[in-house]
Amino acid sequence: MLIRIKGGRVVDPTAGRDAVGDVDIENGRVVAASERTPDRTIDASGCVVMAGGVEVHSHIAGGNVVLSRLLLPDLYVSEAAPEGHPFAHAGGSAAWIGANYARMGYTTAVEPAMPPSNALATQLELADIPLLDRGALAVMGNDDHLLSLLREGEGRNAVRDLVALNVATSRGLGVKCINAGGASAFKDGMLRLSLDDEIPVYGLSTRRIMGALLDAVEEIGVPHPLHVHCNNLGLPGADESFVATLDAAEGRRIHFAHAQFYAYGVADPENPATGGFRSAAERIIRAMETNPNATFDVGQVVFGQTVTISLDILRQFAGRKGAKPKKWILNAGDAEGGGVVPFLYRPKGPTSSLQWAIGLELMLLSGDPERTILTTDHPNGGPFTEYPRIIHWLMDKEERDREIATLPKIVGERSSLPGLEREYTLSEIAKLTRSGPAKLLGLDDRGHLRPGARADVAVYRDSKDRTAMFSRARLVLKDGQTIVEDGEVVDWRAGHSLSLSVESDKAMARRSDAYLKDRFGAGLDSFAVPDEAFPMGDVFEDVACRA
Amino acid sequence: MAAWVKGQEVGLDAAVSAAAALLSSARAPIVAGLNAELSAVRAAFRLAAETGASVDTLGSEGTYAELGALSRGGAMTTTPAETIGRADTVLAVGAAARSAPLIDALRASRPSRGVAAGAERTLLTLDTAGDPAVAVATLRAYAKGHLAGEHPSADIARALFAARFGVILYDPAELGEFGIEMLQALGRDLNESTRVFTLSLGSGSQDRAVVPLSAWTTGQAPRVGFGRGLPEHDPWRFDAARLAASGEADAALWLASLPCERPGWLGRLRTVALLGEGAAAPDVAEIVIAVAVPGEGVGGTLWDEGRAAIAYRPAAGTSALPAAAGVIEAIRRGLASKEAA
Repeated sequence: MLIRIKGGRVVDPTAGRDAVGDVDIENGRVVAASERTPDRTIDASGCVVMAGGVEVHSHIAGGNVVLSRLLLPDLYVSEAAPEGHPFAHAGGSAAWIGANYARMGYTTAVEPAMPPSNALATQLELADIPLLDRGALAVMGNDDHLLSLLREGEGRNAVRDLVALNVATSRGLGVKCINAGGASAFKDGMLRLSLDDEIPVYGLSTRRIMGALLDAVEEIGVPHPLHVHCNNLGLPGADESFVATLDAAEGRRIHFAHAQFYAYGVADPENPATGGFRSAAERIIRAMETNPNATFDVGQVVFGQTVTISLDILRQFAGRKGAKPKKWILNAGDAEGGGVVPFLYRPKGPTSSLQWAIGLELMLLSGDPERTILTTDHPNGGPFTEYPRIIHWLMDKEERDREIATLPKIVGERSSLPGLEREYTLSEIAKLTRSGPAKLLGLDDRGHLRPGARADVAVYRDSKDRTAMFSRARLVLKDGQTIVEDGEVVDWRAGHSLSLSVESDKAMARRSDAYLKDRFGAGLDSFAVPDEAFPMGDVFEDVACRA
Repeated sequence: MAAWVKGQEVGLDAAVSAAAALLSSARAPIVAGLNAELSAVRAAFRLAAETGASVDTLGSEGTYAELGALSRGGAMTTTPAETIGRADTVLAVGAAARSAPLIDALRASRPSRGVAAGAERTLLTLDTAGDPAVAVATLRAYAKGHLAGEHPSADIARALFAARFGVILYDPAELGEFGIEMLQALGRDLNESTRVFTLSLGSGSQDRAVVPLSAWTTGQAPRVGFGRGLPEHDPWRFDAARLAASGEADAALWLASLPCERPGWLGRLRTVALLGEGAAAPDVAEIVIAVAVPGEGVGGTLWDEGRAAIAYRPAAGTSALPAAAGVIEAIRRGLASKEAA
């Protein structure tokens, strides 16, 4: 069946398109413009047509996400169920997540923190997110098995094989390291870790662990570069950690998670620990300009109550004193550990206002929006449902100024945001939310509308009120099927979980099996994510490694 | 096949139709037990949503004590493997913790990872006879210096502060909600100067797999009720035993493909019981459907207590009986077709 989305303003920066035109779709794919009479015509006049949005970093599944619901049962509101899905209006549920992304025109989302020891539960949860394709990044960098290999000086091949085995076993889409060595160091009594600090027992450093993982990811051919959560998140002077980590990549591909939380320069060099922070957005952007190997997602802050979820137990332990309300969960888990700490970004509070400003600054200063991905690090900076509002601030200087006028003076004193005149174009928004994240994940079949693309398409009514425009898409197609009309879900179909197709070395599998049996009393099979565990069937879709 | 309606053996289809009819006609059904593979529990939540049922899980005494304390104060936790691998000091709180199999494993080994690797492991016990919460509160008072002098709890507090990686082991059902809250507060105090985490013993049933599934399915922990068309979390209102005893519930689905004790109300309330091979018998409930046992006759995702994680257990053999998830789905479809008619 040929579907034609007709007469909309088609915005696809990868094809240099930003003009009124048509998009033809057949068999779930975008096809070249056809002379044939379409079987269905969608009138998109007055609308903006983009590829479906792609999310690279949002905590949407896994043990800590579950714990956050248990810790804060009243964070989200449940409403009466819509027709067709019993749980989509259950606040914070998997179905709620899928529905809210889809309503905004997003069609792919990646959970960035899946510990291999908890892979099956994470993947089962992801599989219950409807409407979207989804994936998860396997977290490594704190596990005793990996750290022991490195301590013993085993070669690159052993590390590569262990990483490949973990990705294959957990059915991940990529690899992430979170404050590499930090969880191990925390369990052994350390409370702060920088790039070259020695990690007790192993004699390693974050630099060495991360370097080994950077090499392994390249050698395996993982399309998504190593996804890095640096040391010292959120501390004044975290910009040093960011830049030092970027230097340590030595030109290798690297993705930085939630850069906003690192764009904090020391405000008072005489009193670095107590003098607060000022924006280091310009410094971060300069460093990015000289390192085309690097990308980042923003981790934009929005005001209001949220909960922070992270496997960075060092950071979460330090952050527990700022919990609001005053309760938290810290788990010294197998390998990674992690923490769930509620947090209020105080509306008009000086610290949260500055954080808000720095996130926007990073995006507005960036000369390359495709390497600058829009995220709120959901829910750490705020919920992903705030994307339309953030897009509005990026596209509309007046709207930004109205918000700044309500905030304390520190925004102007310690960031350059008030002076920034730039307004994002629709094409730049598409780079920030579509083509950039899709390229970053190595998913060539999405993030654009060129022939051959997966027919994941979002159609928005063009409006100066960008918040309204991007909150409720007029139409969303997933694989060519209409899933959203006028901001409401009309077809509760399931997407796929994207899983990297990677060979694992048999000798490493035997070795890991023995290691795991010794440590857990259960071997590699116990960590597997078999198709049979998924009652809904047809869950996974393979993604090939880079040639 | 083995299925019975009012004691009479029937085919599976007839039992499923009868079950759909029973649940369709109920005004306030309950879905309980959930001592089963995760696919069946998932199906049970969907059935509950469609019938407006309340959902409760076996093992709930400890589960709800834990969840109540967690949502009020949080927790500092660790895993069995980290305890065995890293802990140089372990405190068993109460009788159940003292006799837990994990204690034997800890006694037979030394820490092998982290800064305490190779060290002698100190195993301590806290007697909680009487009110467990008071015993923990006393220990905490010594730890904080609110009580002073010679006392067994003073020695325990000193040992915990001296730990490099300490673990406090407890049974949530034994300790109760207030005791757990007090214990977690002690954990927070200890972590001002060292690393001490808690580890709670499982109930032996599948509640620890049910809790995350409930959380990602409904956004809430169990107990959950769907009577008003949206999931509502309320451990008191949706307590299956209370609903059965008070007469508020007028029908039930009891799901237990794994062996477990059956509640007393099973024979009194109009119930559809899905029971694992060996446990099914004609007179257990109004409608009884025998299902394959996960890990034996059918593969299933189950809670692994040793790993403290969900893991898939393949079938060890074969079974002519259906998997529970398929039966529940068939009952649910029966509801839908009944409504359409």
